Amino acid sequence: MKSLLFKNRSMVALWLILAITFVITGIVDSYFFSIPSIGITLQLAAPLGLLAAAQTIVMLTGGIDLSLAMIATGAAYIVSVKSNEGLSTALLYALLFCIVIGAVNGIAIGLFGVNPLIMTLSMGAILIGVFTVGVSTFLRGSSRMPDILVTLSSGLIIDPITWPLVIWIIVGGLVHLSLTRTGFGRVIYSIGDNAKAARLAGIKVWHVQVAAYISCAILGGFAGIMLGGQSGAVAISLANSYLLPSVAAVVIGGTSIMGGMGSYSGSVMGALILSVLSYLLATLNSSEAFKQLVYGGIVLALAWVYSSISERK
Amino acid sequence: MRISIREQMWNIAILGLVVVLTFWRGNQLPIFGSYEIKTILLGIVPIALLAMGQSLIIIGGGINLAIGAEAILINCITAKYSEGTSFITSLKWAIIGILIAALIGATTGWIISKSGIADIVVTLATSFVLIGLALFVQPGPGGGVNIDFAQTFSGKGDSFIAPLLVLFLPILLIWLPLQRSRIGISFYAIGSSKDAAFLSGVNVSRTRILLYAFGGIFAGLCGVALTAITQAASPFAVISNTATLNSVAAAVLGGVSLAGGVGGLFGPALASLVLYYIPTIMLGYGIDPAYSQIIQGALTVLVVLIGGLLRARNKR
Repeated sequence: MKSLLFKNRSMVALWLILAITFVITGIVDSYFFSIPSIGITLQLAAPLGLLAAAQTIVMLTGGIDLSLAMIATGAAYIVSVKSNEGLSTALLYALLFCIVIGAVNGIAIGLFGVNPLIMTLSMGAILIGVFTVGVSTFLRGSSRMPDILVTLSSGLIIDPITWPLVIWIIVGGLVHLSLTRTGFGRVIYSIGDNAKAARLAGIKVWHVQVAAYISCAILGGFAGIMLGGQSGAVAISLANSYLLPSVAAVVIGGTSIMGGMGSYSGSVMGALILSVLSYLLATLNSSEAFKQLVYGGIVLALAWVYSSISERK
Repeated sequence: MRISIREQMWNIAILGLVVVLTFWRGNQLPIFGSYEIKTILLGIVPIALLAMGQSLIIIGGGINLAIGAEAILINCITAKYSEGTSFITSLKWAIIGILIAALIGATTGWIISKSGIADIVVTLATSFVLIGLALFVQPGPGGGVNIDFAQTFSGKGDSFIAPLLVLFLPILLIWLPLQRSRIGISFYAIGSSKDAAFLSGVNVSRTRILLYAFGGIFAGLCGVALTAITQAASPFAVISNTATLNSVAAAVLGGVSLAGGVGGLFGPALASLVLYYIPTIMLGYGIDPAYSQIIQGALTVLVVLIGGLLRARNKR
């Protein structure tokens, strides 16, 4: 009962923070309260929400994926280049890429005990190298996204509902359900909470870790394709600026970086808060220096507020 | 303090690798004299200083993903205010820069201790703040430094003595005394086990503040070295991210365990030579330097993997 109360209290705090940033943004820019601009904010929040889902899964196991941005970029890049061979082939290639990279991450971390931070940082560096080389050799081709994916990533259904929002709700809902209602979700929480106890209880910990990193990579690929569709063409730096926000959204949403504690619903709130915040910073028309400064400062402040609330349970 | 043999074995292995790579690189060049040695040293000084700072923090059980941003900020501050000034003013700003870096480090450590948020999260966030500050000080490439001051750091003409000193003086003057002092030992203590250290009477939060402050001093030295070598400020987030990545890779290659409490600063300094040689040698063959990122990443993973397997075997 106490944990339920605590959970509600932190959710209330997140709603409050979201409401405050929402109102402040509305005061600064009165256009923000219109239906189209809310639609755009939600549309831009969708890829971040998917990346946060990916990050939530691995962070619940006690890991982290710092190669996520490059996985996302890579998947988008593969789709854009291979789209001349047909859309389904292109998507298949991208899926295969995500599975392979996720599996390599998961096996190295789960089976060989490589520190997740080092593994995924290095994987990010390796992927940057591979794609930098690939652009001029084995992955030469058009970097334009196929039209159908552009529509699915930024098309409007009825204001303010956009296709990416619908996709986010469906995929995010599946992630939420599988984390809360299935055996997969339960083992993810249990190995994050105490890997040794989980092993003694008969869970094959490394299987779970491999599955977690593969799901993470696939979700990242989804997000990358969506980002590519939103910008129309894919560059090698496509998802780079989303790496910190993906971690920040999860942390603000109350998922412990040590694993075992947190929820995807929290991460969704985190993603929404950060999206409203970047809208605010964009409308302030300030210098890049100021934006970076405020963004970093607010992420830190929110994480701090959150951790002090959860300490007072 | 007891020095484990395996730790030294690792340093010797890295030293062997460095010697092999040096000969390899030497063969690529038509002449391999004092000037070439100077070029190599100037290339590794910033990486090595940053790697030492990162290693120190990792030894103390933390990690600083903002260390590259810290160095870039100091680079911007010193290059902005030393442009067209006298030797003394440049030196003054270099010292101020290092003090600012120590202060930033201490603040980071204080936030981590006070808030209870994980090091990774705090430093990811501060990296944004610090790059923002760097852009604030110096919105684009520019700045400069007194030429005599630059040459004191980077050496006059062909002489490689100055960069060699810049590389080894911090180890001799900061690390060796520190390692033997109470503070240094308490760094290892909180790195091995915070609870055990606390129960033995170590003030964990104060030690962590000092830990990040010393890491900051190395980052500040790196920033000043960048100013002296490039004689300009380059406020780019890409540079700071690559630098941070390299510092972690060098720490790991240099035998510092990410679990904390194990390793020294000499290994990482040597390992940064390896990280410098890989792209340089590849460029010498006309290979796209992007490949070197692949090799460097794979090498880092491999080292951690082997380290992990060795530890698992020793436990059995």
